[in-house]
Amino acid sequence: MIVAGSAWLLWPRAGGEFVTGMPAHRDNGAEARFVIKFVPGQQYMPGTTPYGLGEPLTGMAEVVRDFEARFPDTRVELITVPAVREYLVTQLSSGNAPDILMVNVEDVWVDMQKGWYVPLDPYLEAPNPFVREQGDPSLPGYDQWWDMFKYQAVSRGKAAPDNLNYCISFDMVETGIFYNKDIFREVGIEPPATWDDWLASMAKLKAAGYIPLLMNRDSFNDWTVDLVFDQLYYDILPGIDLVQDPVREAYLEGYLDWDELCFLFERGYFTEKDPRYTELWTHLYDLRQYCNQNLMGTDLAREFVTQKAAMLWMSTQFTYRLTGDRHLAFDWGVFYVPRFTAATSRFASNTDMCVIGGAGTQYEVSNSACSDTGDPATSERLKRVIALLQFLMVPENYARVVNEYPSMLPNVLGVPVLPVVQPFADILERRYTTTKWVYTFDLKFNDIQARMLELYLNDGIGHEEFMRLQVDNVRTATRNLVSRKPIDMSRLEARWKELAPLRAGMEGLPHE
Amino acid sequence: MSNRSRPLFGYRARFTLTCYALLAVQMTLLVVFVYVPVFWAFSKSFFKFEVGSESRFVGFANYAELLFRDPTTLPSLLHMLFLTAFAVCVRLSVPLVVAKLIHSLSREKSRYLFRLLFLVPVVVPGVAVQLIWYGMIYNDRGMLNELLRMAGLEEFVRGWLSDPSTALVAVAFVGFPWVGGFEVLIYYAGLSSIPESVTEAALLEGCTGIQKFFRIDIPMVMSQLKLILILTIIAGVQSFEGLFILTKGGPGFRTMVPGLWMYFNAFSFQRMGYACAIGVCLFFIILGLTVLNMRYFRSTTELEGRG
Repeated sequence: MIVAGSAWLLWPRAGGEFVTGMPAHRDNGAEARFVIKFVPGQQYMPGTTPYGLGEPLTGMAEVVRDFEARFPDTRVELITVPAVREYLVTQLSSGNAPDILMVNVEDVWVDMQKGWYVPLDPYLEAPNPFVREQGDPSLPGYDQWWDMFKYQAVSRGKAAPDNLNYCISFDMVETGIFYNKDIFREVGIEPPATWDDWLASMAKLKAAGYIPLLMNRDSFNDWTVDLVFDQLYYDILPGIDLVQDPVREAYLEGYLDWDELCFLFERGYFTEKDPRYTELWTHLYDLRQYCNQNLMGTDLAREFVTQKAAMLWMSTQFTYRLTGDRHLAFDWGVFYVPRFTAATSRFASNTDMCVIGGAGTQYEVSNSACSDTGDPATSERLKRVIALLQFLMVPENYARVVNEYPSMLPNVLGVPVLPVVQPFADILERRYTTTKWVYTFDLKFNDIQARMLELYLNDGIGHEEFMRLQVDNVRTATRNLVSRKPIDMSRLEARWKELAPLRAGMEGLPHE
Repeated sequence: MSNRSRPLFGYRARFTLTCYALLAVQMTLLVVFVYVPVFWAFSKSFFKFEVGSESRFVGFANYAELLFRDPTTLPSLLHMLFLTAFAVCVRLSVPLVVAKLIHSLSREKSRYLFRLLFLVPVVVPGVAVQLIWYGMIYNDRGMLNELLRMAGLEEFVRGWLSDPSTALVAVAFVGFPWVGGFEVLIYYAGLSSIPESVTEAALLEGCTGIQKFFRIDIPMVMSQLKLILILTIIAGVQSFEGLFILTKGGPGFRTMVPGLWMYFNAFSFQRMGYACAIGVCLFFIILGLTVLNMRYFRSTTELEGRG
């Protein structure tokens, strides 16, 4: 009896996922032919109040209700799932994942060969039916769904290494330095023009008793590593960027892909022999001296809004935390991380800092969507899931979701940017980073880099020890990658030789 | 009496068969949910196995990597040993002293009240305890740092769990003052079962106070000490959830333990075969320590038998 009772309690029920907030669906109830499980993400989850401010969100629920009205045989469940890889792996491998997921597509690439995700190219290259029914051929989306995306290069740049698109870049996000204008005035400083100015300003803030800059470990490991890397390597890109990706080049402009990084590592780059790579980490260490003591602290916002800290490096979403807080007692603004100059480093490229943001909410369609036939080509269910995404992207629907409150930047043509997040839209006009280290190799590489960097930044290990561990980490990651995806070395080798004359005039390269 | 109405089996046989039948149900579930996964993990430890992909036989490669090439192995074992040794020390001492103090109270009502008060915190889930320490005590603006600020000791304020020099000790101190209600009750039961005659004989011999505690009480609760020791060692080797909540093994690997490294390999890095190899090694570590404990740490009964 106990066993039977337990089995009954544990038996999965329809719609048994944990649902946050208000129910999105009308009572399509038992007649529903298609029940679509959709993870919209915390940004858009109906019933939630971002940062505990304002009214509960309703935009996504309203659009979904309209969709259900169009398709009475369909019921959409908006659900919240744990934002952890453990959950995804178990659900996807068992075929029980929600139909539409929200995952950074770079995490999808790791699993793309497993058939867990549905390539969306055939749908993106076809008309969006909800635009086409309006009968106006001049509307973006009439010919191809792709045409609706405002940030074309970013959205198309999310193609996986197999050149297929597994995600819809629903909106855009960028990072910036939020700063307290009152504290800046009090200390007599301005938003900086160069990296050195920035450090000098932070020294003044520290002397005045403020925490100059709030950051956490992951911001160091992800954003800062890429930005500093770009500043140091941008000048030598013409000599080391061996492959121009025909699909993604428009956006990525000289991006160093995984195969190039592996090849360059074999040539001594990203090792102790590479003075740029050795120097990179010292700039992070210098910056760290002006940051909050605990890099694993979880409540950075509190230190900023209570004016204990002068700056906070955060992404677009934080705008709402500040605009929505009626008790905020200071003026604030946003600037972007300033460039390196020759005074900062002899390798400084003297170009503006690139961007590290891009696609924010990224929706993927899982293999659960074609559970009716098991074949994407014949699945009616999959078509309905795709229809939901296409319906969401129609500008009038889209605006109700993305512009319900100032948080993310719209990625659909014809949908305005809310004025308060406009500074981030301006930042996003810059060129993209040279590479994204944390998205290039496997998850173990990221984990170890983050851990070693944390130790180094907290004086747990010295620079030399850090370099030894980090080079080992890169070595292991490149070997793992090459064993999984063999590289066409001859092509890279030929290009490497072609570019040799260019490299001959460059300073500070590892000995070849 | 006619033999026709006599049952095929007697009462005793039917009772035994029923017991076997009921045990068979339990055994089946045990086999399905415990033994099969254990054997599955053991077999998978010889494979390179990633969820959703084909697995490939690699022989002892996972074990070789774990024992000879993984730089995390030795530090994580040392951390585990430190934390387990620390837990053994405090669980074998502090709750015993508290139990002795309660047992020494003259009024039964007082004894009952203190037993109850020490037991109540047991209902707080372990995860909640970790979160309390993470959020309220070790936090940047937590109790510990605020007390230091109030005392004018600003220079000692730090991220206790993120500072490489303090993280492991900070983790060990979670649960201070380590008066687990469960252990107190076990020891109290042991102290209560000491025969009156033994206590009286000790008093007649002039053995009182601290002397009696060490010479009479401790040997007489040796069975309880042995039980707590085994449970603490098993928990120390197996557990990782507290560290997962508090530090995720960081900063760096300064609080990493094998159990947590196994979890990360299995679910974050998807290296299931390697994680299984770690699990098998942990199994043998626990087995070895338990055998040592059973062999060399004598219980009260054994001591009595020897006496």
